[in-house]
Amino acid sequence: MSHGRRAFLKTAAASVAVPYLIPASAMGNAGNTAPSNRIVMAGIGIGNMGRGDLGSFLGRDDVQYVAVSDVKKGARDDARKRVNEKYGNTDCKTYNDFREIMVRDDIDAVHCATPDHWHAIIVIDACRHGKDIYCQKPETKTLREGKLMIDAARRYSRVVSGGSQRVLGDYRKIVDPCWNGSKGIIKSINVNVGPLPMECNKKGEPVPEGFDWDRWLGPAPWAPYHPHRCSGSYNINGTSWRSFKDYSGGGMTDWGAHHFGGATFAIDVRELEPEEVIFHNEGGKKFATCRYPNGKLLHHNYPGRGNLDVEGTNEKGPSKPVPAYAGTGGIYGDFIDCVKTRRRPFRDIEFAVHTATVCHLFLIAYELERSLKWDTVKQQFINDDEANRLVDVARREPWVI
Amino acid sequence: MTSKDMTRVTLAAGAVAIAAGKAVARTDSAAVDKALETLKTYDWGADRNALNPIDQAIIEMHGDAAARQTLEKGLVDVLVGGISRSAQDYVCRRLRVIGTAQSVEALAALLPAEETSHIARYALERIANAKAAEALRDALPKVSSKLKPGMIGSLGVRRDKKSTKAIAKLLGNSNAQVAQAAAHGLALIGTSAAAKQLTRFAKKAPANMKMPVADACLICAEQLLADGEKAEALALYKGLKDDDQPTHVKIAAMKGMLAAASRK
Repeated sequence: MSHGRRAFLKTAAASVAVPYLIPASAMGNAGNTAPSNRIVMAGIGIGNMGRGDLGSFLGRDDVQYVAVSDVKKGARDDARKRVNEKYGNTDCKTYNDFREIMVRDDIDAVHCATPDHWHAIIVIDACRHGKDIYCQKPETKTLREGKLMIDAARRYSRVVSGGSQRVLGDYRKIVDPCWNGSKGIIKSINVNVGPLPMECNKKGEPVPEGFDWDRWLGPAPWAPYHPHRCSGSYNINGTSWRSFKDYSGGGMTDWGAHHFGGATFAIDVRELEPEEVIFHNEGGKKFATCRYPNGKLLHHNYPGRGNLDVEGTNEKGPSKPVPAYAGTGGIYGDFIDCVKTRRRPFRDIEFAVHTATVCHLFLIAYELERSLKWDTVKQQFINDDEANRLVDVARREPWVI
Repeated sequence: MTSKDMTRVTLAAGAVAIAAGKAVARTDSAAVDKALETLKTYDWGADRNALNPIDQAIIEMHGDAAARQTLEKGLVDVLVGGISRSAQDYVCRRLRVIGTAQSVEALAALLPAEETSHIARYALERIANAKAAEALRDALPKVSSKLKPGMIGSLGVRRDKKSTKAIAKLLGNSNAQVAQAAAHGLALIGTSAAAKQLTRFAKKAPANMKMPVADACLICAEQLLADGEKAEALALYKGLKDDDQPTHVKIAAMKGMLAAASRK
């Protein structure tokens, strides 16, 4: 491993301290990568989406994958086998506790695909240990977590990428007319997504061998093991962790991270947070609208409107270039390129958090069934003590952020 | 029409009952009573929908403090009556939203036990009333080392200045998770007094506490800067320039000093 590259990654304080002392070509992003110049990576949470993420990073010749962490022994062993087969060695280490990865000085970057209730703890810990991190979506479980994650990334000058590959990949037919001016002045966009998350009261079953159930729960309230509680299935119908409030925001955050991410990208409010969420109940039909400081509206389940349906003046307006990924290899390549260059990735944590914030504002408005005003600076609801109680949750010991 | 007009609730023989209303959204008191009764035998595997009337009542009673207090008392009475862990879980989640000083004693009683400590904090951490903080403070020296980090975290999130000294005493705790939580708790409190405790400890911190304390100093400095305490923030940042700090920490401190210097 090159001390020069390591020193660069550890010291490169992005735009502030040592912005461009070493040319990118010297970092190995101008062609084939010498082993000594590869980004050394580890994965945390490597079942389901993590398995896919692992494959994407493992397939790159500018990445050296060295360790995996998962609370399921089977997942750890499978991942280790896959990594070792790729490199033809036995070097890949496995850990039940992700913190053992964080303290390894030889690891530059990690990717995280745990259930959502772990994301903030892991992202913040990675930043604290000077590691860059790619985190699956939805990046946050509560509103408070978002600011803490952004603060940690900025404090330690880390590259922190959110994980929705669909924001840029799936919505170009929506995004392009907005950015090239053909939609005119954008007034609103609508997203149809659901369902809302539920509380889980499933009866306990024996914990499978090799599964550290207590660590899977982590900061979430204790609950007895049930396979539906922790299944990584993509169904959101009460048979997966994505369905339940303690671990996820349900469809609102799961698919919402994609759809709202695409919507906020299309109408170009990625840098903003809404300052109001308006709850509607029209004859029992409940829907909601986020209003941005610039007046743009982001509807959720607005009656009669389709998913990512944009309302504009349709008069030809000015065109602007659509942002793109850096490097090659989609969102994964973008992250790796930014690790090398210290630029902010396409799905920079701030943009990702702003998307998740939209989801949480909607969730809280639906939970309380009323409209709310959001102070984007103080990160508090205005004159609503009850809503402010929902900005965060107390974490189970020993987890503190 | 205000919520108060919509729904008025009185307590009669432990029951929640609607007394009046030009009600638009009327709380179904019989259904709420039945749900409260259900809680007494509720356990894992029971139908969660049976409790929905309580959820709905919380929404409908918004703005009606009297009705809320009545419902809260109904929940507290169930909680102290001896119920399953699943039912305790449900009640604490609701008290997180509507709990007041009225709930604190019942919740505080759950803090020492490993099984219930977290779910009690789940409510107490979010109840703004000073009695909630007092309960957490009182519990801190009494609970086990396993539970202390949670107590510290909740006090930190509340920015509870009165717990500064008690938390600072735990910086040197032999349990690493307690000590690390103490550093982070002081960072979250983010006052001059917390900064002094961190600075004092930083000079003698053992190797395993160097990074947690450095992280805490950076977070505390940011809070001080946000609160206009520029000189104290700068002092914390300067303390992190030592050569034994990791490079990314030193750079963070340097950035912090630049940020502080740019503040008037």
